[in-house]
Formats: sequence, C-alpha cells, structure tokens
Amino acid sequence: MKDIFAGLYNKIIGFFSNTEKSSDESKNVARNRLKLVLMQDRTNLNPALLERMRGELIDLLSKYVEMDKEALDLNFENDGESIALMLSIPVIRAKEEEEIEAALKAEDDAKKELEEKLKALEEMEEEDEDEYDEDEEEDDDDGEDIEDENEEASESDNNSEEQTNENSSSESEQDETTPRKKKKHKKKKKKTILNIPEIIEVSEVSEEVSENNTNENENNDNSEENQESSEEKSE
Amino acid sequence: MTGKVLVITSGKGGVGKTTTTANIGTALARTGKKVVLIDTDLGLRNLDLLLGLENRIVYTIVDVVEERCKLKQALVKDKKNPNLCLLAAAQTRDKTAITGEQLKTICDELKEENDYIIIDCPAGIEQGFENATTPATEAIVVTTPEMSAVRDADRIIGLLESKEHIESHKLLINRVRPNLIKTNDMMSVEDVQEILSCDIIGIVPEDTGIITSTNKGEPIVNDEKALAGQAYLNIARRILGEEVPFLDIDAPQDLMSKIKKFFLDLFGKNSK
Repeated sequence: MKDIFAGLYNKIIGFFSNTEKSSDESKNVARNRLKLVLMQDRTNLNPALLERMRGELIDLLSKYVEMDKEALDLNFENDGESIALMLSIPVIRAKEEEEIEAALKAEDDAKKELEEKLKALEEMEEEDEDEYDEDEEEDDDDGEDIEDENEEASESDNNSEEQTNENSSSESEQDETTPRKKKKHKKKKKKTILNIPEIIEVSEVSEEVSENNTNENENNDNSEENQESSEEKSE
Repeated sequence: MTGKVLVITSGKGGVGKTTTTANIGTALARTGKKVVLIDTDLGLRNLDLLLGLENRIVYTIVDVVEERCKLKQALVKDKKNPNLCLLAAAQTRDKTAITGEQLKTICDELKEENDYIIIDCPAGIEQGFENATTPATEAIVVTTPEMSAVRDADRIIGLLESKEHIESHKLLINRVRPNLIKTNDMMSVEDVQEILSCDIIGIVPEDTGIITSTNKGEPIVNDEKALAGQAYLNIARRILGEEVPFLDIDAPQDLMSKIKKFFLDLFGKNSK
C-alpha cells in the first residue's frame, strides 16, 4: 500500500520537477566524437599515409633511442580542449652517445657523397641552362634535425670548407628558429636534396607534415630521378 | 534587375533541403520578390510535391536543356503565390542528364527577370552537387544537430570553400528539439556552430506541422501559428538583409507543458 502511494507521490513530484536529468551526457560524447572524427576527415591522412608517416617516424626516432618499433602508437586524441596527434613510444634503452654520433656521421658522409654527385651533374647541366636562381638559402626542403649541433659543427670543420661556410651563415640566419637544417649548397632552386625526414612536431591541429624521402640506403645512381621527385614534393 | 542565385545544400539526405527551399521561396515571394525555384534532384524530384504543384508539371529542366521547349514553357507559376515559379526536375532521367554549365546558362537567363533563384541541391557530393553549385554565388548549408549530418555538413562546407564563385555560405540548423538540448541529449546550436565554425542564418525547430504541410502541399510558412513557419519567415527576412533576432523556440507549445510551466513559475522552481 505504502509503495503505491510512494510511487504515486514520486510520479507527481517528477512531473513538476524541472531538474535536468543528464542521461550519460550523451551530447558531450557526441561532441567529442565529432571533433575527433572531423579532425581525421580534414587532415586527408588516409591509412596508407598514416602508415608511411609512422614508418618514417620510427626510422627517425630509432637513430636516437632504441625503441620497440612494433609498439609505436600514433593517433589523434582529445587533449582536453583541443585535438592532438599523440605519439607514444616505449623506449627499450637509450643509445650510447658514440652510437648516435657514429650513425649520424655515416649519414652525413652519405649525404655529402650524394651532394658531390649532384654537383657534378649540375655543372654538366649548367652549360645548357641560362637562368640561375639566387636565394635558395631560404629553401627548407632538406636537412636533418640537429640535436647536437655542436658535435656536428666540430665534425664539419674537418670537412670541406664550403660546408663550414654554409653552416655559419645558416646559424646566423636561422638563430631564432628551432634547430633545423644544415644548409646545403645549391646552385639551382629546383635541385634540392631530400634526405632524412624531419621530426613531425607533436602538437595541435596545425601539424605540418613535410614529406621527405630518405635515400640513405639506396644507390643514388639515378640522382636525376631523385631531383624530379623532390621537385614534385617541394611543391 | 539581376537576380541572386542561392543554393540550398547539405550533403546528408533528409535534413530538410527541399522543405527549406519551398518555404524560403514561398516566404520571399510573399514579400513581393520574384522568385524561381529549381529542383536539381533529377530522377527523384520532390520540390513539386512540397509546393503542391505536382499535377502541373509539363516540361522539366531536361526538356529545356535538350531544347524541346522554351524556358518560359517549363516554368510553373504557383497560382496561390504569383511571384513564385518552379522549374521542375525530370523524373525519368538521372543527374548526368545536365551539366553545371547548362544550369548556369538557364540561371543567367532567369536572373534578368527575377530577384531570387533558389536551387534545391540533391544529397551527396557527386554530379548533382556539382551541377547545383555551379551557378550559385551564395549557399545555405542545412544540417540537423546529429552526428552524421554535422559530419557531412563539414565536408560540404569544405567543398564550398574551395569554390571561388561561392562568395558566402551560411548554416541553417534544422529539426532542433529544445527539450532534448536541455537534457543534454542533443547537441545545442552553439555546439554545432563551434564545430563547423560557420555563421548561422537560422534555427528551425522540429515541428510536427511539417508533416501536415507536406501532406497538403502547402508550405508551413503560410501558417502563422507554426513555430517552424515563423522561423522560415525570419530566415527569408534575413536573406533580404534585415536583422532579425533568433526565435525563442523554447516557448512551450502544447497544453501540458504550458500548465507545467505555470506551476513551476508559481512555485519559483523554474530554473530558467
């Protein structure tokens, strides 16, 4: 009997009560899901591109730390108010400094070799072309991420003079920016050298993915081919 | 006079493009402007139904394009609203039967004698969408506060932004249900606007009167008591350049909620 009255009473009060029942706040769930999905839709990163980005990131980061390559996790997530590209890498161990530098030096040497080959090629082509482009110093298409700039600067002292000149000019010019590129000597604007991919800044929505190919391990006999593909990409 | 060409699009189907076209067109025509409505949903025409003109279609837009008739012969004048004309879609063809350029030619001709040409865009992003958006200089993107509709609207807005001839696009949020918004079960107008970052031209509440008006073939904007009708009328006024405040769609409509509101106000328990 009591139950019936209690039920009736609750019903009447419920009728008049204006309390806001939030059933799991489903609209907030919807809103967050939407923001996430729209971010993915808008960035034009189809699964193939994401895979490739992932691969390049693994290669890049493996130079500096030893990590579990299979377990690298890369996706968009809600980071409180904004969407962020989250990267999570389980690190197995840190690499010895010598290891890192040795690997980087090997890379630099390979790059220099490629440069010299390209230069030789350019000199041959120069004879056919009339125009020169100045001001390629500003081109941002190549280079590597310099974490230990000092070591590399000292290394480069042992190398060709040209390199050092470029470095000092590059350092003075790019003082303000985050450590980025080693300047490459370029004669023509279009003939840029693409090498190691840069670290993609793990940040907010406006991530800029610069697609750079790594040709370290390949034979660069077809340097022309490389130049053409780099032309397309630098556009 | 040079008319304005406006396209009503959405991406998602069933959110209210055709209803919006019919109502905005009717409202603008009632204010004295000369309006032509064009149905570009070839093969699945519906604008004629919503206007109650389905029995008067003789020639369609495909007949005009294929030169079986003159443009004037294909325009159906609404007897109840003489400033309003309809150019119907063909029911027996599909969206590949005309091109955007052909539609643009038709619109250019119509622009000389009419104030507004409103194009009802079909759902999707294929040729129907491309056709409908080619002649337009302004767009209204219709969406509802639901996930799929908002997602598709976002894609459409992206596509519209890449079209240089479309100078502006505005958002129309349709089928809004204030009580669900209050209980946080439906995304609010502010949520949708924030997600899509687009200016709003109007908010139309869910109204069962739409069903009746479609059944009868009389656009709801003719019913002054209907909330959706008032909302559409306000949108038409905004298109004409007037500054109209948004309707308070929260006002209780049926008897029960009116009584409820009365008692709650009485006891001071109304949280508003």
